[in-house]
Amino acid sequence: MLEFFDDPRSLIYGIGNCGRQDDGLGWAFIDRLEARQCASRPNLCRTYQLNLEDADLIRGFARVLFVDATKDPAVSSFALTRPEPRLDFSFTSHAISVPSILATAQQCFGYVPEAYLLAIRGYEWELQTGLTEPAEHNLSDALEFLSSYR
Amino acid sequence: MTTRLEIDPVTRIEGHGKVTVELDDDHNVVDAKLHVVEFRGYEKFIQGHPFWEAPILMQRICGICFVSHHLAGAKALDEIVGVGPASGVYLTPTALKMRRLGHYAQMLQSHVTAYFYLVLPEMLFGIDAPPEQRNFLGLIEADPELIKRVVMLRKWGQEILVAVFGKRMHGISSIPGGVNKSLTATDVNRFLHGAEGLPSVDRVIEDAQLGLELFYDFHAKHRSRVDSFANVPALNMSLVDDDGNVDYYDGRIKIVDDDKNVVREFDYRDYLDHLSEGVEKWSYMKFPFITDLGRDAGSVRVGPLARMNVTHTLSTPLAQQALEKFHAYTGGRANNMTLHTNWARTIEIIHAAEVVRDLLSDPDVQKDDLVVTPSADAWTGDGVGVVEAPRGTLLHHYRADRDGSVTFANLIVATTQNNEVLNRTIRSVAEDYLGGQTEITEGMMNAIEVGIRAYDPCLSCATHALGQMPLIVTVVDAGGRVLSERVR
Repeated sequence: MLEFFDDPRSLIYGIGNCGRQDDGLGWAFIDRLEARQCASRPNLCRTYQLNLEDADLIRGFARVLFVDATKDPAVSSFALTRPEPRLDFSFTSHAISVPSILATAQQCFGYVPEAYLLAIRGYEWELQTGLTEPAEHNLSDALEFLSSYR
Repeated sequence: MTTRLEIDPVTRIEGHGKVTVELDDDHNVVDAKLHVVEFRGYEKFIQGHPFWEAPILMQRICGICFVSHHLAGAKALDEIVGVGPASGVYLTPTALKMRRLGHYAQMLQSHVTAYFYLVLPEMLFGIDAPPEQRNFLGLIEADPELIKRVVMLRKWGQEILVAVFGKRMHGISSIPGGVNKSLTATDVNRFLHGAEGLPSVDRVIEDAQLGLELFYDFHAKHRSRVDSFANVPALNMSLVDDDGNVDYYDGRIKIVDDDKNVVREFDYRDYLDHLSEGVEKWSYMKFPFITDLGRDAGSVRVGPLARMNVTHTLSTPLAQQALEKFHAYTGGRANNMTLHTNWARTIEIIHAAEVVRDLLSDPDVQKDDLVVTPSADAWTGDGVGVVEAPRGTLLHHYRADRDGSVTFANLIVATTQNNEVLNRTIRSVAEDYLGGQTEITEGMMNAIEVGIRAYDPCLSCATHALGQMPLIVTVVDAGGRVLSERVR
């Protein structure tokens, strides 16, 4: 799967805050890719949260992988989904959902890249750097899955 | 028996607050309050840290106006190390202009967010429109071309922040006595003339006028409703230059009354001699006021409306033209119409874009004289920094011991300054929209939020909060019984 993104027309976008423990999973995913040099050609970016300008950003790419932490207990380790453009009224000035970003790109720029969302389960969100051990484990599982999945 | 209504939390603001409105048996409004219920922590949290970390850490209070916190903190640090009036050593022109450039770019970006993303949906669809429509995403469906221009406007401001601060959020530019970088010729050319996916400054200034045009249209259609909505008195406060005109980065504090008479003008370093803070057991947010006038007469309004009330002129042509019309509307008296804050905000969007253009055209922002280094004996260990943040006057005050550890920190942010007038606004709207009504509709509750959003309050900043922002609306009676609850 990572080979699929190993292309300059791809964007891998880590979302989160590494000062809030497991909220840093999205950034840690990018860190691991950089360290392993297993995806050298895609654009690797980090952001605290999505903003409407990201609708403009993603229109420059053929495919985008969003990577974010999730609190959802239904996600035991990680989940890879294909989000669809949808205005879900989640907007605040601090954050907006992936489906809303895709819908904004579609409505304003008439283009939506092929999009994937990797949600990795986190557990602790306090003011502290570093992932918890179970979150580290989930991150490794997600990377292994994406590296081996074809 | 009284009935108490709660809006908890208030939505489309930064941070978590709730509103309670108490009605008597005849449904008259007895009281209305804005409660800020977040934990306050940063002023303590920073103590013991090296002084130079303060502007870096304190900007993390907010993901929206972090530049303002960074700059207010940097100004305080300048004074701690002995840069400023005490030593007669001042920032280089490049450092000063780079700080101003970042400041005005953030002003543009923050006001665009507040106005187009948070306020405009209500202007276009109405206070009573269904929540799923009176939302920024409703605007995207209704007018994607407008939103495309707004997105590019914000992106332009964002890209300047990246060029100045190194990244989109919580970057670092200012250091004690200066800045750590200037712009390259490539940067300047991109912003002035545009690049792939980035508009030119002329296009930005053209689009910056969209907000004002939309306000004029809205005002023309709803003049009476707009003008009578929460017309509440307060003194008006802003930083000003030597001519008494607003200066967003530096100057003296000036406070004017309804007739624009100067009530007080002082060096912001002397703020403790002029301002006090009241407290209430029902809110973490304090109530600043001019000490000798008392809280009722001495509370101030800050932010766009206050600044346009205080200043005589603006330094750029398009903004000045808009300001003249704004001033003429109230015949030279101060404007107390809460929703005219949005009018003032649109003028500041234009002004910020024009100032950024002028700064980008100034060769100083490409020079290398970035820092001044005062002598070791210039250390004062005490510094106050004030800027006009998008939401209003922002003050940081630090003290550090000779080892360089922070021993004291005090922040007075714009939303705190506005606390009293915010509460007056809520009471006014509650009386007009809820008073005498037997049935409270969602639209009536939203009217209160509209009043609050005009100030674009940042409750996270105001309480220096560490925490999350839940989105729940609850209606309870005086006995605490929940009558209804909704999660937004």
